[in-house]
Amino acid sequence: MPQEQWTLRRSLSGESVSYGIQRGIRFQILSDEDLDRIHWGTLHILEKVGVQVDSPTCRKLLKENGCETDEKSRSAKIPSHLVEEALRKKKSAITLAARNPKYDARLDMNHSYMCANGNGAVAIDFETGERRNSTKKDLVDSTTICDALPNVHVHWPMVSSTDMPPSVVHLHDLEASLNHTEKHVMYETGVTLQDAKDLTAMGYAAAGGEKEYRRRPITSCLQCTYAPLQHDAGVMDASLEFARSGVPLVFFCMPQPGATGPASMVGSVVVGNAEVLSALVMTQLSTPGAAVIYGLGIAPLDMKTTVRAGGSPEHAICSAMGTEMAHYYDMPSCVGVSGTAKEPGIQAAIETYTGCVGPLLAGADLMCGIGLLEDSSCLHLEQVVIDDEIVGAIARLIRGEWACDDTLALDIIEKVGIGNNYLAQKHTMQYLKTDHFMPTLMDRRSEDNWSKTGKKSMKDAAREKTKKILAEHKVPPLSDDVNRNLAAIIDQAKKPLWGGESKVQ
Amino acid sequence: MEEIVTRLKNAVINYEMETIADLAKQIVDQGIDPLVAIEEGLAEGIKTVGEKFGKGEIFLPELVMGAESMKAALAVLEPAVPQGQARKTLGKVVIGTVQDDIHEIGKNLVSTMLSSNGFEVIDLGVNVQAADFLKKAGELKPNILAMSALMTTTMPRMGEIITPLKKENPSVKTIVGGAPVTDVYAKEIGADEYSGDASGAVDSAKKLVG
Repeated sequence: MPQEQWTLRRSLSGESVSYGIQRGIRFQILSDEDLDRIHWGTLHILEKVGVQVDSPTCRKLLKENGCETDEKSRSAKIPSHLVEEALRKKKSAITLAARNPKYDARLDMNHSYMCANGNGAVAIDFETGERRNSTKKDLVDSTTICDALPNVHVHWPMVSSTDMPPSVVHLHDLEASLNHTEKHVMYETGVTLQDAKDLTAMGYAAAGGEKEYRRRPITSCLQCTYAPLQHDAGVMDASLEFARSGVPLVFFCMPQPGATGPASMVGSVVVGNAEVLSALVMTQLSTPGAAVIYGLGIAPLDMKTTVRAGGSPEHAICSAMGTEMAHYYDMPSCVGVSGTAKEPGIQAAIETYTGCVGPLLAGADLMCGIGLLEDSSCLHLEQVVIDDEIVGAIARLIRGEWACDDTLALDIIEKVGIGNNYLAQKHTMQYLKTDHFMPTLMDRRSEDNWSKTGKKSMKDAAREKTKKILAEHKVPPLSDDVNRNLAAIIDQAKKPLWGGESKVQ
Repeated sequence: MEEIVTRLKNAVINYEMETIADLAKQIVDQGIDPLVAIEEGLAEGIKTVGEKFGKGEIFLPELVMGAESMKAALAVLEPAVPQGQARKTLGKVVIGTVQDDIHEIGKNLVSTMLSSNGFEVIDLGVNVQAADFLKKAGELKPNILAMSALMTTTMPRMGEIITPLKKENPSVKTIVGGAPVTDVYAKEIGADEYSGDASGAVDSAKKLVG
């Protein structure tokens, strides 16, 4: 019996309380030979082509450890033994701790966790329906909703507080997130060394000090690499600082097949893999044993509209392959889903479903990207609630089934006999709780009853649920002391509106 | 003469990237006016390609290959244009991605679309400092300065450029774009135009020079 099913049975029989999505079945896209070929192909690219490393600090680090670097092109060729060494030093199981420990996300290859999308800059006003720049209030509302939803397990700040001073928008995003959810907060991204210091200081403050934070990191950072084969200076300097400070990292690659990666999906996985592995090499050279999650979100550029095709089947298949690559390296994966729909509805539902079901079936550890539309740009609060329901259905789909005495239920079948029903059996109630998915938005009533109550659409139901959550769900805020500390960090980081924000090396 | 200029036009339409430079050389060798070749051959060819793309008849790689073909021929024809003459364009656009931002694909698409619609485009690349944008605007006196930012953290840099530009070179108009940029934001920072995608940028540019 697969390991996953043992874990699952233990948890279903109440032996351990478990958070996240239980995985009982898995499909495989890449064969072992395919995985080997992608790995060796990536090593070949890293040695022969290399990557562009804009940070002088990182280039120096690579050079001192045997890489061939070129100051003019800012590139570094990475020998395979360094990749192998980094893979030996890295962590395999990473726990994203939460302010409330019942929400700890243990990325242990046996569970999947979901998080909403992040860093949108536009929102549909919930009251007026107006499409406008996102505000800190939108972030507070969406964070509260994510805290309440059962199928959103880890939190990303969904939109930017664009009504705050530009230099500290991301710090306000983190502050609002920490105060309005008890779940783990993963922010994207730290783009300068000072950013990393400020974001880390806020994490330490919220956790109750550095020591407590290092034991239970309640924040983490997702850092993007730049396709093809580039590492931004500020992002990598910040990454090394995060690693030194005990902040778990995701290196998230996003080549777009046909544009910033080969048009073949596997070719783009090679480009992305080279980016993630080279970032891992730098991090492990600087801080051996640093917690790094393998991140990948590869969606083609739509060649008719020039929009990134989030929500495409290719996006899903790449996220599935990214997960398989991560597991090949014994690393947890963080992979993407998104949609290009402009409003909640049929297209958005198809995109979320397609985008989530593939990677989750392939065993994604952390899936990020539900809730925003227009390919990760625009927040519709109702969509977050609808997507939560979609993930709930998929979670049931991938849980797994097995035949044991209890599920075979031969004794019950014998007891009920021929022509009778199972409604009055205790076995029925027991399995109703564990085996029957109960929708909260999908309407299964008869047409008669549906008509009588105003023929409400699923979006109407989502709107009602959203209203109810906003009115009733209360999240305990951080203590006044902690909030004073956070405010002081933000205040100190604030810079004049124009100028003075440059990060000249 | 007409025949070879038509062949040049078709070479753009059929993306003959590898051989179009040879054709352009033949045109120069035959003593045909390079300006005629550029305007009746290349410009007409890329216009056709751009229109087909706009109608959804061809895909982006085909548009890019058409533009690359045009570039390869221009490299041969432009040096042959007699001193004092210049090809007719809709206007001059200086374009780049702002400082600390190295996203270039959107910006490149806008460049390609603008070139294929008859603009002269000077591409400053990515991670362009505010001072460099301003310097180039002063030197080249473009009709339009186009800026791209793909991160909420780099978006404010566009404002840092527009404010001094209005003082130093008030005749230069501005277009901003990039994933997090919105029309509301563009207005806030004083940009003349905003566009959400590459074809929108062409409409904006035409509006500004029209």
